[in-house]
Amino acid sequence: MSAPAGDPDASPVRVLVADDDADIRDLVEFKLTQAGYAVEAVPDGVSAWEAFEANPPQLAVLDVMMPGLSGIDVLRKIRESGHPSVPVLLLSAKSRDSDVDTGFAVGADDYVIKPFSPRELLHRVNGMLARAR
Amino acid sequence: MVGAALLVGATVVILGACLLLVILVVAVRARRHSRNQRDEMLLSPLRPPLITVASGEDDDGAATEELTWATGVSRTVLDRNIVEMLTKIRGVPADQLVRVLEVHGAVDAAVADLTSRSTVRRARAAQLLGLAKAEHTVPLLVTALGDEAMEVRNSAAYALGLIGDPVAAGPVLAAIGAPERGLPAATAAEALQSMGVGISEVLRDGMGDPNARTRMVAAHLSGERSFTRGLPELRRLLDDDPDVTVRETSATAIGRLGRGEDVAILVRHTVDSEPLALRRACVIALGELGDPAAVPALATLLADADPRLAELAASALLTMGPDGSSALLGHEDDAAVRSARLMASLQRASA
Repeated sequence: MSAPAGDPDASPVRVLVADDDADIRDLVEFKLTQAGYAVEAVPDGVSAWEAFEANPPQLAVLDVMMPGLSGIDVLRKIRESGHPSVPVLLLSAKSRDSDVDTGFAVGADDYVIKPFSPRELLHRVNGMLARAR
Repeated sequence: MVGAALLVGATVVILGACLLLVILVVAVRARRHSRNQRDEMLLSPLRPPLITVASGEDDDGAATEELTWATGVSRTVLDRNIVEMLTKIRGVPADQLVRVLEVHGAVDAAVADLTSRSTVRRARAAQLLGLAKAEHTVPLLVTALGDEAMEVRNSAAYALGLIGDPVAAGPVLAAIGAPERGLPAATAAEALQSMGVGISEVLRDGMGDPNARTRMVAAHLSGERSFTRGLPELRRLLDDDPDVTVRETSATAIGRLGRGEDVAILVRHTVDSEPLALRRACVIALGELGDPAAVPALATLLADADPRLAELAASALLTMGPDGSSALLGHEDDAAVRSARLMASLQRASA
């Protein structure tokens, strides 16, 4: 799979992945790591927000339904905290139009519905980062 | 004296029963915990190749092959995890994991389990066959739609939806109205939604079914999927169906896919001799249709005795451009119009 574009000597692009489902967390982390990203994976919304505040990533992949803070809550905090340009992809089993509308209304840059294709997820992450540059 | 002894005896019995219950709960939890720990231990060496395959990074097939080597209890635990994983991913990685299940004989075992005496095994078997997209098992899953257990029927419908073969659409729709062993309308609708455009004829036939819930699902899906060939049946249901919910559903579907000629049909059912729920559904449908020919009828309904109906008429007019807006002139202070404007602005703000 293609590695993220850019200077090979530059430090890898940092991606935050938050999902309470260990299967999805592990496979997204593995997929993005194989593609050359530096991934920090966390199991809930509170950890995601703490990780974001401590060291803002260049992109975040957030599950919508997580204990504590939901992905929507974390996204809202990101957008309200002076990081409007960090691309955020929401990953969710919630597939109704109203769910997708809510995600984009809060400020998501993309929305992927589970079950999902890991290959497609990577393409979307690559595309979001290319557009953000 | 006897009373006191009885009281003490009863207290001892109750305390004993409580103690037994606590012991039972602790034992069940301990057993489950121990089984989970064993499963985690058995899965541990297989977890890396499982994640490699699931993430689509098994380019040379080595990880897939490693998974196929699992034997005994490890294989059982792995297969359970693969089934769980199949609910989360799709595409090539899912196909590779299905291949592992096939090599393990899990798909054949599921076919056999469809006739197991255990309800749980039958339901799980149907789920696995659906997630594995085992098309050759469609006839068996259709048979399982008539299973004595509701969870098995639901699981079979879910599986048929995942497989997506429209050949199963007729049986799924018919299962809604099966006496004693019916399928929930929502479950059937969800399964049918996944079967593509090949179900339009089945839905047309379903709108003539003797069972009201079957007609309702057929009408609903015809609107959802924009199957315009079903319009004559939808109009007939709106006009004549003995079930008011079917009529409401048909009105909603006509609102989604109707034509100019449907304005008069919908307006006909907004008169106050019709059930209120149907009148409201027709007004909403007129708004959805968006044909200015509905403006005069909707303007009249602004003064309806039912405030909700008046508000829906105002909302419909607001969607109809200059014609609709001019019909609202002179009604700006009406509660219905104010409420409709507020709702419209809230919807715009949240969009």
